[in-house]
Amino acid sequence: MSAPSFGRAALEVAAKDLRLEWRTFESLSAAFVFSLIVLVLFSFAFGFSAAREFGVERIVPGAVWTVLAFATVVTVSRSMELERRRDTWTALFLAPVDRGALFTGKLAANLIKNGLLHVVVVVLAALFFDFDLLANALPLLLVLVVHAIGLTGLGTLFGAIAMRVGRGEALLATLLFPAAAPVFVSAVKCTASVLAGRGLGGEARTWLLATIGFDLLYFLVALATFEFVLEE
Amino acid sequence: MIRTRDLALGALWGLTTVAMGVAIGLVFLYAPEERVMGAPQRIFYFHVPMALMTFLSVFVLLVGSIGYLWTRRSAWDDLGRAASDTGLLFCTLVLVTGPIWAKPAWGVWWTWEARLTTTLLLWLLLVGIRMVRSYAVNRDQGARLAAVIGIVAALDVPIIYKAVDWWRGQHPVLFRQGGGQALAPGMSETFSFCIVTFVLLFALLLATRYRLARLEDRSLHAIERLRAG
Repeated sequence: MSAPSFGRAALEVAAKDLRLEWRTFESLSAAFVFSLIVLVLFSFAFGFSAAREFGVERIVPGAVWTVLAFATVVTVSRSMELERRRDTWTALFLAPVDRGALFTGKLAANLIKNGLLHVVVVVLAALFFDFDLLANALPLLLVLVVHAIGLTGLGTLFGAIAMRVGRGEALLATLLFPAAAPVFVSAVKCTASVLAGRGLGGEARTWLLATIGFDLLYFLVALATFEFVLEE
Repeated sequence: MIRTRDLALGALWGLTTVAMGVAIGLVFLYAPEERVMGAPQRIFYFHVPMALMTFLSVFVLLVGSIGYLWTRRSAWDDLGRAASDTGLLFCTLVLVTGPIWAKPAWGVWWTWEARLTTTLLLWLLLVGIRMVRSYAVNRDQGARLAAVIGIVAALDVPIIYKAVDWWRGQHPVLFRQGGGQALAPGMSETFSFCIVTFVLLFALLLATRYRLARLEDRSLHAIERLRAG
């Protein structure tokens, strides 16, 4: 039997993760409740009418992306914890496939989970902070996708590292947030631009393009280095 | 028997000590008092060279990390280990000396300027590397994981700098004082001498930490050999 191709292997890993998630909803349910609570905390922290007083574009982008950054830590570390519990990493590592394919599969599954979560969080934020979601849906979706790739990509690489040394969310957050700071800044800037009614032109466009470059760079770095993380 | 390597390290030790003495003398006795900022400005002769050495450490960290993952020789990892520790030391000192100067000069301890923010995030990344190394189940795993983070962190430094620069919109005008205008004669000589001094100190710390890491490697190997019988 010949070894499966890169794409096939990545697809299998992603499908396995998503199947597990579908059966248990373990990481999504945890991340969803967590996000909801943080959103509520933000309303308490800023006051219930803050978005109306200071403008939606001043409050919402920061609140939403802070929630999403922490929620990413929750989903990613769950997906890694899953492999650690019964040492299924060893099984994955022994599979005769490219290690980069394992990373790509994990990343794809995490991205789909995070994507769902992001949509729910943004919808909730629209309800809580009262902004027009429908008018901004498409540009917001683009902003979510581009920044989720960067955040989840680095998150998956660092999540595997944190899992390897047996530390969970705390170490992942310590590693991920400083490294992903450029993505975070860009996400807030782009979201603010959309919510302020300026769309994705001008400055936001530069941020978006720069983040696509960031996504690509760190995807390649992760592909090249993931095998060193998995190794026993 | 005294080896050449020990002699070289000893000479570097002596040279650095003398240079540091001279540098302190220059900073406090020779360099003229800055007209606007007064005495607190003198901390810049140490602050700026230390910031430069922090970024030099990150470059060495990148080289050591790539070298280790490429060749799997422990010497490269030891270089990375030395670089990240030396970098963390200088980075900490930069973050301590900066606010001491900023409070009298700007009236605030901290501002979210590109250089400051990048230094703070870099400090967190360097701490992260140390944490991963100490959590790792063995030295080999720590070396691999730290090298991966080292590469990510080193590539990230210019990106973070650029991102924060854009985020802020523009530099505070006050910050141009160090680089924009020509320094007074006594100042620029002192400043140049301090940079040379800190390059020496950097080399000394890096070499000493590297040697310590090599010794750690050798003693670990010796223990393994003893255990294997």
